[in-house]
Amino acid sequence: MIAQQIINAVSLGGVYALLALGLAIVFSIVGLINFAHGELMTLSGYALLASLVLGLPFPVAVLAAVSCGALAALAMERVAFRPMRGASVTSLLLTSFAVSSLLKVVFQNGISARPQAVAMPGWMTGAFSFGDFTIGVGPSISIVVSALALIALEIFLRRTVTGTAMRAAAEDFDVVRLMGIPASRIIATAFLLSGLLAGLAAMLWVAQRASVDPLMGFTPVLKAFIAAVVGGLGSLPGAVAGGFLLGIIEVLLQATLPATIAPYRDAIVLSGVIAVLLVRPQGLIPAVRVQRS
Amino acid sequence: MLSVEALKIRYGEVEAVRRVDLAVDSGEIIALVGANGAGKSSTLSAIAGLVPAASGKVVFDGVDITGLAPEAIARKGVALVPEGRRVFASLTVADNLRLGGAVHLAAPEARAREEEMLELFPILRRYHRAKGGNLSGGEQQMLAIARALMSKPRMVLLDEPSLGLAPQLIDTVFDLIAELRRTGLTILLVEQNVALALEIADRAVVLANGEVVLSGTAKELASSDLVRQAYLGA
Repeated sequence: MIAQQIINAVSLGGVYALLALGLAIVFSIVGLINFAHGELMTLSGYALLASLVLGLPFPVAVLAAVSCGALAALAMERVAFRPMRGASVTSLLLTSFAVSSLLKVVFQNGISARPQAVAMPGWMTGAFSFGDFTIGVGPSISIVVSALALIALEIFLRRTVTGTAMRAAAEDFDVVRLMGIPASRIIATAFLLSGLLAGLAAMLWVAQRASVDPLMGFTPVLKAFIAAVVGGLGSLPGAVAGGFLLGIIEVLLQATLPATIAPYRDAIVLSGVIAVLLVRPQGLIPAVRVQRS
Repeated sequence: MLSVEALKIRYGEVEAVRRVDLAVDSGEIIALVGANGAGKSSTLSAIAGLVPAASGKVVFDGVDITGLAPEAIARKGVALVPEGRRVFASLTVADNLRLGGAVHLAAPEARAREEEMLELFPILRRYHRAKGGNLSGGEQQMLAIARALMSKPRMVLLDEPSLGLAPQLIDTVFDLIAELRRTGLTILLVEQNVALALEIADRAVVLANGEVVLSGTAKELASSDLVRQAYLGA
């Protein structure tokens, strides 16, 4: 029972971490909190559903769905955010709200407002046990995928020129451009990565619930946003730390709170967030950013 | 090589540069001097494309580069070493250098160029794996210059390289600038320390309140009454 709860906690934390990272990458480069991030997740969910309905083998369907998330993020940048480049933070924020609302309506009217069942393979919902422990396959896969994605991202940011340029751009974008590195390439890569991470998170989210609905992305991305703020907005290690922390606390409270207090779980979690921010207003692991007038 | 014609720069309602005209020939050092707020840094930023010109134009090698993005201007061979150095604090010295040559050079060429830079700035070899933010001001200035040189630019814009450095380090930096000129590099130098700038430059342009008030050879300016009274304290 305890082992299972720990696995659930880490698995939920991993999903929050992937989403928070996506938000943080874009924020660190363009200063935009992308509220349409949840719709990237929803879109990937529908893409998985469509691929499976079309009869694609499961791994191919997952690949297609994740790619859809990444391409949608690129398209979003090109269509909605590139024309707004250089605009104020408020304008960018409103643009992302607009994109988010628009996509939600498209999902509701174009597909259905009701949840659609996704036929996940049977082995996903299975469990394996050793000794007294029973551990779900789904959450275990979720942990492995999150860990691999975090490692791959770390390698990309440390070892490649584009990754290094992105770390530099988070600190001082103008100077990166002075090095001759095109702003558009950096920004597009940031969105591409955030879309990939949203797509992966969507797969893990759908795997646990076996359904998609137009509002699927809203709650997890709201949580991811909280995680990113707690971790230190724009800080990538902070986003990961915040994501895991939030996921773990949520599951632990779920498991331990008496039934009468359980409905207040979110209130308790958010009070914790306020407490953290009172002590560390810049978040747990603040972003390195050069402030210029 | 570079000519700036009737350049005007505005930040909102404020006119930072009213009118600047200057020309830099290949292989020379031109110093742009003047008091704080005279518009020197704004002029450099406009040449590099970081701030837009309200009017006027910038021509490099016969090509009008006014209004181009900073990355496009960098690719034409103009490198700006910005005021305050602005090295990437969270990146290692090695990564700072690598980014400097990232789009300009192929990998083997970039490695060779990095080696040249480490020869020229031995201090950077010593701190190769250290974070840029952990270097001292003088070391950061060396890094900022080396990072700009990584792209093998044809022209370097140096913004206040002496700012905040100890006198001994200032000498080192200026010796280095003289050495760079010997390699044929064209340099536009912005400097508040007028005496120092006139010592090293071929020609100089004096800015006051966003306008050119005087220009000529460094020798002429060093002996002119205006410069001696206003900037050299003589």
